[in-house]
Amino acid sequence: MTTILLVDDERLVQRSIEKTLLRAGYDVLTASDCASGLEVFKSNAGSIDLAVFDLNMPGFDGLPKNAAGLDLLQKVLEVKPGLPAVVLTAYDEMGKAKESVNIGAKAYFVKGREQGLVELIQGILSGN
Amino acid sequence: MNPQAGIDRLNTLMAAGARVSRSVAAILDLPLLLNRTVDIICDEFGFYYAGVFLVEATGQYAVLKAGRGEAGKTMIAEGHKLLIGGTSMIGDAIQQRAAHIAHDVGREALFFKNPHLPKTRSEMALPLIAGDEVIGALTVQSKQEAAFGDSDIAALQTMADQLAVAIQNARLHKQNADLLRQAERRARLLNAANKVGKEVTSVLSLDELLPMMVDTIVDAYGFYYAGIFLVDGSGQWAELRAGYGEAGAGMLKEKHKLEVGGNSMIGTCIRLNEARIALDVGEERAHFKNPHLPHTRSEMALPLPFGETVLGAVTVQSVEERAFTQDDITTLQTMADHLAVAIQNAYTLAALESAHAELLRTKVYEALTVATTEAIHWIGNKAVPISMTIHRLKDELAAGQPDLDSLREDLDLIAEASEMIVAVKEQLIGQAREQKPHPVLLEDVLRAAALDRGIRPASLGIEIAPESAFVVADSTQLARALGNLLQNAVEAKAQKITVSAKPDEKGTAVITIRDDGTGMTPDLLEKVWTPFYSTKGSGHTGLGLPAALHVVSQLQGSIQITSEPGRGTSVEIYLPAVAPAHTEPQGAPERIQLIDDNDAWARAFSASLGRRVIRENLPNPAADLIIIDEHLESARLDDVLAAVAAAGLGKKTLIVTAALNVDRMTRHLKTVRDVIIKPYTAEEYAQLWS
Repeated sequence: MTTILLVDDERLVQRSIEKTLLRAGYDVLTASDCASGLEVFKSNAGSIDLAVFDLNMPGFDGLPKNAAGLDLLQKVLEVKPGLPAVVLTAYDEMGKAKESVNIGAKAYFVKGREQGLVELIQGILSGN
Repeated sequence: MNPQAGIDRLNTLMAAGARVSRSVAAILDLPLLLNRTVDIICDEFGFYYAGVFLVEATGQYAVLKAGRGEAGKTMIAEGHKLLIGGTSMIGDAIQQRAAHIAHDVGREALFFKNPHLPKTRSEMALPLIAGDEVIGALTVQSKQEAAFGDSDIAALQTMADQLAVAIQNARLHKQNADLLRQAERRARLLNAANKVGKEVTSVLSLDELLPMMVDTIVDAYGFYYAGIFLVDGSGQWAELRAGYGEAGAGMLKEKHKLEVGGNSMIGTCIRLNEARIALDVGEERAHFKNPHLPHTRSEMALPLPFGETVLGAVTVQSVEERAFTQDDITTLQTMADHLAVAIQNAYTLAALESAHAELLRTKVYEALTVATTEAIHWIGNKAVPISMTIHRLKDELAAGQPDLDSLREDLDLIAEASEMIVAVKEQLIGQAREQKPHPVLLEDVLRAAALDRGIRPASLGIEIAPESAFVVADSTQLARALGNLLQNAVEAKAQKITVSAKPDEKGTAVITIRDDGTGMTPDLLEKVWTPFYSTKGSGHTGLGLPAALHVVSQLQGSIQITSEPGRGTSVEIYLPAVAPAHTEPQGAPERIQLIDDNDAWARAFSASLGRRVIRENLPNPAADLIIIDEHLESARLDDVLAAVAAAGLGKKTLIVTAALNVDRMTRHLKTVRDVIIKPYTAEEYAQLWS
């Protein structure tokens, strides 16, 4: 079974993506900020195959932070280098999105085109 | 003449001479002195005519300054003067510094036959000598031939000597007086310069400063007209910007302007950066003959220099020829120099203001962009689950046999997300707005705001100064704003929230809500007014403070926030305060039952209506009117309403509320006659029974 860690602070977005991924046949672990995201990751590092992080969400201190998702990505990659990751961004955050790829994300995904997320994840996991 | 008669005559003459001397010695006004002298000589000595000539400035002529009777008046009017050293007796007496007598003027070659004095038969001319200087001569004439003897000459010469001294005194006095007047004028000019100095530093608006300047110049110097021209943007024209009196108003109306470097004094003055002075404008080619200023005889144009540039020029005009003294020119140019600095300051200020306006436009645009971006992100985050869920639902339905629980959850997701979007409008502008702000009891609105947010009013430290008890507001909107602030404090994990209100120096109520919660960093503080910006996760719209700002602005107030991480936050709201008049409520029913906590409003209402008010918490059928406060702490509103319904008293029951909520109102209206915005003044109480 493939397991995906989904971290997003918007409850409805998180649940919606979670359901979409579940329906696509993945196991989904969720968290809603950097701190809890890292905690969930550390507890399940071995079984997590892919991470989906929101770009803007509360940082490690609990306060909202621009591009906090990149902080989490760095920490996670320190623990598990090479882990495939997708960063969720808004349409006007392309700069940050590209930065996420530099840091080590496999891809960024612009929110609002959710139907493509599953295809993107499938592609990454199948090595395309 | 016998010796005794000669002595008597000499005595008479001496006595008269002494009288003349006494009566004229103290006269310091020269014309008066001379006129009095000729009169006394004729009256005391019984002569036909006497006149006084004074040597004019060039030393060439002796000019008649005083003469007895009509003859004297006529000759003075004709400017009668005699050449010194000429053929006249006066001219000769002055030249020779000696008395000259003609016993029979008909035979004297020196005598100039004077048609005004046809009866003269003898004449005496006596020089007026002061110190070494001959200052003029006295003529004394008689109708008798050989009227003058040695004694007359001696007596009259003594008198003439004394007259010369008196004339000299009067002249000195006039010089002193002139000096004094000059000193006074200088002092006045200095005052004017000081006044200008102050005005130019304190008044930055040219429309105020320039008219003030022309008035000051005209008033202080007593000139006919003053005007100020400023060079326009093209540098080609000097436009009149201020002008004295009606002439000035007329020219301003005509938009009077002169070409820089043109033929006019102003145009030349600006081009050359130097003062132009026309002492008799009739003779000056450069003077632009101005129909508004027909009486101008002298004119001065002074440049307004700032560094290398000339900003304009001041024109000063007088009805007198040669009106300007060196003092005038110096002081006016100094004034013009000061004025030029002030004008430059005003220009700089205008440029700064324009730059500031531009900056403000940029800032507003930036703020709008930030707000719009936040709003788009917020809406986007709410819309994402909707579109995503719909997409998934379609897939599931297409696949057949959807999971009903999942389907139900998906519908809930869609509903929740869309409701949040719909709720934005209400959160920002509120549900209900009253037509007009009115005096409201701050403490009561605050209680309602707290209760609506599940905060016990008693847990708040409320301290309201009597002067700030009433503010002008829409209570529903104010309760919403205060509620948002209280809720922010609670969400910032405040242990203690205090609310105080007191008047500032202008009487405005300053409401301070202070908490000891987590506080905010300066970065965060900068964004708090941005709609949709929230640090509190997806359940929040980030509209609490923007909405409070909106409400307070609509109430003509202002709001500011200070905060420090770890030390809490303090919000200050400035609202107009008011002291409602004490009036007797009109037309109240006999028995009014009030179901309310023992709060500020209930006490004020009870005090105003006195014994008509029954305070019981269970509906009393004996009451003519039952009033229930919607915001109750001491009882549950639902229980009270159930009791009202059970007793069938709904028809005479009203709910009053500080913060109207449409959903609650709709529910309450099933039980009670009406739900009314709380009246806060005795005048408004009548709304409850009218």
